[in-house]
Amino acid sequence: MPRSAWLEQTLWMLAAPALALALTVLVALPSGAPPLQTLQVLLLGGLGSMSKFGQVLTVFVPLMLCAAGLLVPFTARLWNIGIEGQVVLGAIFCTGALMPFDQGGPAHIALALAAGMLGGALWALLAGVLKTWGRVHEIFSGLGLNFVAMGLTIWLIFGPWKRPGVASMSGTETLDMSLWLDRMGRLASSWTALALAAAALVMVAVLLTRTQWGLSLKAVGQNPKAARLFDLSPRRRMLQAFALCGALGGLAGAVQVLGVYHRLLPSISSGYGYTALLVGMMASFRILPVPFICLFFAVLNVGSIQLPLQLNLDSSFSGVIQGLMVLSVFATQGLRAWLIRRREGC
Amino acid sequence: MIVLTDIAKQYGRVRANDSISLTLEPGRIYALVGENGAGKSTLMRILAGHTVPDSGTIAVRGASHARLTPALAASLGVGMLYQDPLDFPALPVWENFRLGGTARTRVQVVDKLGELSNHLGVCFLPDEPIAALTVGERQLLELLRLLDLGATTLILDEPTTGITPEQKRSLFGLLTRLAREENHTVVLVTHKLSEALEMADAIFVMRQGRLVSRLETPCGEDELVRLMFGEAVDRAGDVPPVSAPQTRRMVLDRAVFAGPKYHLGPLNIAAAPGEMIGLAGLDGSGQELFLRGLCGLDRLAEGGLELDGRRFERNDFKTLHKAGVHFVPADRMSQALFPDLSIREHILLAFPDQAARLEEFRREQCEGRFNLRAHPDTPAKSLSGGNQQRLLLSLIPDGAPLLLMEHPTRGLDAGSSLQVWEHLRERCRDGATIFFFSPDLDEVIEHSHRVLVFYDRMLVADVPRAQATVETLGALMAGKNLEAWHAA
Repeated sequence: MPRSAWLEQTLWMLAAPALALALTVLVALPSGAPPLQTLQVLLLGGLGSMSKFGQVLTVFVPLMLCAAGLLVPFTARLWNIGIEGQVVLGAIFCTGALMPFDQGGPAHIALALAAGMLGGALWALLAGVLKTWGRVHEIFSGLGLNFVAMGLTIWLIFGPWKRPGVASMSGTETLDMSLWLDRMGRLASSWTALALAAAALVMVAVLLTRTQWGLSLKAVGQNPKAARLFDLSPRRRMLQAFALCGALGGLAGAVQVLGVYHRLLPSISSGYGYTALLVGMMASFRILPVPFICLFFAVLNVGSIQLPLQLNLDSSFSGVIQGLMVLSVFATQGLRAWLIRRREGC
Repeated sequence: MIVLTDIAKQYGRVRANDSISLTLEPGRIYALVGENGAGKSTLMRILAGHTVPDSGTIAVRGASHARLTPALAASLGVGMLYQDPLDFPALPVWENFRLGGTARTRVQVVDKLGELSNHLGVCFLPDEPIAALTVGERQLLELLRLLDLGATTLILDEPTTGITPEQKRSLFGLLTRLAREENHTVVLVTHKLSEALEMADAIFVMRQGRLVSRLETPCGEDELVRLMFGEAVDRAGDVPPVSAPQTRRMVLDRAVFAGPKYHLGPLNIAAAPGEMIGLAGLDGSGQELFLRGLCGLDRLAEGGLELDGRRFERNDFKTLHKAGVHFVPADRMSQALFPDLSIREHILLAFPDQAARLEEFRREQCEGRFNLRAHPDTPAKSLSGGNQQRLLLSLIPDGAPLLLMEHPTRGLDAGSSLQVWEHLRERCRDGATIFFFSPDLDEVIEHSHRVLVFYDRMLVADVPRAQATVETLGALMAGKNLEAWHAA
């Protein structure tokens, strides 16, 4: 790449964060918060100490699992917005698998993780079947199934799986310590969880860029009609993509249960599925930027806990910033494409 | 009077228009001829305001413009009729007619439509949906709409594609009247020389982005051909004889194909190895369903299909594909190729077992045999029409027994077309059976051992080569002479 083109590329890449910053300032001003200090609190709140960084990693793992999973259906141009529900189902299946055991060991944990993957995959296949055989757009079915999954959790917590004597929003009975994921020293995160997230990313990257299956999936996404002519079984490929993404989402749910909350909660997914969709959009569904954006979003998420404490701002402000970042990326990309089109004059 | 001066337009490294100057006078009919990619469409799109030229001026009745917008062009009386009518099939005739014009009530619109139709000797039912009209009728309606908008300069882009010879005559009659009696300017963009010679007062010839000549008619066809192509183009030889006409490669036995909109059949047809069978029919007459049904994309509702003695009760796409049935649709980019995938990736998808020696295989297959000279990493969307077709043909394995080609030369220049036909004939000599459709009757006649004619979603005639003439086929395609044909 010539130097001027490289420079231009870099400038465009910087344009998005700059725009996001400007928009953040604009949003922060009416609430009376000093914008730069807000950003400082957010970053230090996430990276200020080792224990905070541990928190960041616990957010990073499910985000990474979901975002890596979403890359797969997106390669086939499918928007698996149902990822949120798939995380929830993963958590439900994981909890369900451990119901018979009062205590256990690594084998039980492995079983619970596998159950979580199964739950997520099945939930995703439901959206997939509706898409491929029922002609229901995956965004609609996914969104609907998210609500169903949410309802299912609440029913379980207040119904069959309620704690003896008390049924409350605080969830099911806590798992025995022997069924928890390992800890990274005194940090909140777990080596197993981190390894799973890394493995998921590597697996997805290899699958999508190095295998015939990945190429076929890309082809299906580019042109389903041509995929039919090439005998690539587009429907089966789409279902596989859904199932794989769902399995990773379900794994994220299982990690939430085994490593973070140690029980099933109503909001077990913490909205990570939706956040992962933002990550994917911001990365334009390329693989390389995904882990970095996940880390950044995780920092913002954890840092935002400090906002009400230090600046009397609502903690949802970090969500606003995440949204603005994605918008800025799209806005700058759109602007650039428009400029190129205008230069070429058609 | 419209004067174009030094119009230039560049796309990347391609000079689509290279300083073109021409004058269009009222009351005259012009033809703009040239191969595909010669720059005809670009020039006309500039005149209609859809494309902005890099330089040059467009003077309409003395007022000079550096560029036009579609609205400005329309207000200056320039109207363009596209090859595929730009109408809205779901809307009725009168609503389509009203589009782009001033707000009017239904009564006003219908009156105006009636007045214009009457004046020009055509007939439309205002409430009929556009989807029920033929392509020829849709073109006429579009033409009426342009006239109603005040168009005095009419540009028609390949207007005779997909209409019957009879509809063509009435369209040409109408255009002649508009020019002679109403003093309109007519520009006919075409690659068919016979039409240019028949209609035009003057012919502009374009080649590789330049206006190479302006000829007054009458002039010789040979001269025109020489100007268009630069040098003489060899015509393909005669179709090779069928080696074993009694062998049955493919048999349809009371087969009924069920498409999304209609059924076709029952069909009883047999084809021999090495046979090239042309399909003729207007758009939507059934030939599309015939090809799609044969390869398994549309359902075989009744009857059976036999391939090399093997009988299929169901036309499952996968099974037929494995048995060597290959379908190449006309709309290559939207139905047959993956726009962002490279040549190499297409080959990998079509021949997964060649993955180990992919590069070598690609070189043999694409460069050696098909002369596809593009970098293997080029995405399909950047290939020219000819290279797209070369790629698709190279993806069909050798020895495939049944090839179904939907308009195999669509959008190709003369050289590429010739190459495609030579390749298809070679496959026939090697024993493949080929069914192909083309909207160009001359092409169908030139390359077929026999012609199947479709009319009104039925197979109406199986015409042997000796009897296949434009007149016979044209009449059959329009549903005429059916009884006479079957009696004979």
